[in-house]
Amino acid sequence: MNKTLFKATFKANWGIGLFFTLFILMYVTISIVMFDPDSAETIESMLALMPEGMLKAFGFDNLGTDLTGYLAHYLYGFIFLVFPMIYTIIIGNKLIAKHVDNGSMAYILTTPNTRIRIAVTQAVYLVSSIATIFIINVGIGIAISESMFGGHLDIGKFIALNLVTYLSTMVVSGIVFLFSCLFNESRNALAFGGGIAALFLIFRMLMGISEDISWLKYFTIYSFVDIEEILSSSSYATMASLILLGISSIIYFAAIIIFDRRSLSI
Amino acid sequence: MIEVKNLTQIYKSGKGVFDLNFTIKEGEVFGYIGPNGAGKTTTIRNLLGFANPTKGSAVINGINCRKEAAKLQNTIGYLPGEITFFENMKGMEFLRFMCEMRHTKDLSRRDELIELFELDTKGKIKKMSKGMKQKLGIVTAFMHDPSIYILDEPTSGLDPLMQNLFMNLLDREKERGKTIMMSSHIFEEVQRVCDRAGIIKDGRIVAVEDVQSLNAMKQETFIIRVSNKNDVSKLMNNKLDVKKITDKKVKITVNNNYKEFFKILSDCSVIGLEAEQQSLENVFMKYYGKDGVTHE
Repeated sequence: MNKTLFKATFKANWGIGLFFTLFILMYVTISIVMFDPDSAETIESMLALMPEGMLKAFGFDNLGTDLTGYLAHYLYGFIFLVFPMIYTIIIGNKLIAKHVDNGSMAYILTTPNTRIRIAVTQAVYLVSSIATIFIINVGIGIAISESMFGGHLDIGKFIALNLVTYLSTMVVSGIVFLFSCLFNESRNALAFGGGIAALFLIFRMLMGISEDISWLKYFTIYSFVDIEEILSSSSYATMASLILLGISSIIYFAAIIIFDRRSLSI
Repeated sequence: MIEVKNLTQIYKSGKGVFDLNFTIKEGEVFGYIGPNGAGKTTTIRNLLGFANPTKGSAVINGINCRKEAAKLQNTIGYLPGEITFFENMKGMEFLRFMCEMRHTKDLSRRDELIELFELDTKGKIKKMSKGMKQKLGIVTAFMHDPSIYILDEPTSGLDPLMQNLFMNLLDREKERGKTIMMSSHIFEEVQRVCDRAGIIKDGRIVAVEDVQSLNAMKQETFIIRVSNKNDVSKLMNNKLDVKKITDKKVKITVNNNYKEFFKILSDCSVIGLEAEQQSLENVFMKYYGKDGVTHE
């Protein structure tokens, strides 16, 4: 970890982080405000007009009548997956691959800091900035829920849901980071890292549509964000979190080692 | 002290550098010359520990350049051939960043260099001209007072005045006992500051020579303008290598045979004489041939 580099990275990237935070926050605020414990049926009847497959893809098929279930289905089937994912792809690529591609990595490496230290610093930035986006949204989300519908939100379940979603994003960010460390050209890193991340999301959206393709769940990390399980079982979130933490640690570790060992074209 | 031992790095395209061997002594100024694409930058990448050699190694002060790169960096001042900074930073912001990353405490040298090169540090790097970026690169390479300089085509992009300033800076650093390796494709540059020079062509070192003997290899070419056509035929008719350009203009290559050169010129009515810039490529063609066969 190198503070100077961390600060420089923060300065170059905080704007993008803020943009995504506010963008997601907009969805969080709107969905909470739209919630009406009495007229949940109205929304459901409105949604019933849309094709069933589409509703399943976005996770709107079972919105539920309590605030926790409603938010979980409304936001964590798509919004909280796709926007952190896009953020991850953009920043993950910028942190290593772009510096290697345009040559500015040469300057970072001509300082007495090992490659491992540089890569760890950049990884810490990625992991902590995604965490910040989640924490701000969860914090404000809880605050708005409490002030508008005091007592309606199951805060423990809501946090568990966010933890699992965050850690799934962490695995995706690890994959993006790994390709960022692996390629000399940022467009290759973007194609592979972004491509795999996008496939994960597409599989997650398709798997619920029909039983025939439910096997897709074995090919996407986002199946860990199993809303029903998280909301009904108390042990599922803990178990899923530990598994996701393990997977992402391994991927990040591999990425850092790859960056340390490989030949750079700078 | 820099030692390159059997250094080989082969790219997928089959290009690269092959079995390089040379040593640069402490306090020596070593010119590394060759045409574009010969492998100069590849060699330098290995000296800085960016690339993994296919075979062999580069060692500086007994430390392996690749395996223990971080240990070496504060003793090296590196000027990349193609400079890319953190584009969103301002000049001064970048210099401060580099000083912090290197833990440079004494900033007086940084400020002296900024003044010397009249570097404008206030603007965003993205908006800087190529020359200004080059100056920023030079300040970055020199400001932490390293004992070794590795400079990849350092004068490219500088105007003649700044080139001169830079050459004087190199002279001073040389007097202070610094070891300098600079790559170049400009003969004059190497000739002016270097003690020895390695010549690289198609990824292989074709010669490592004292600059004095390189000087002897250099062809002096002059463009002569004369007032009448007869003089041209007169000029064509001698031992020197003469090429006719127009009716009243010839190109003469003097291979150290200045006596003959002036003797012939004195017979003609010369109205113009200019020295042609020597391209290194020409020196290669003349003395090493296409296959890089060494002379003598």
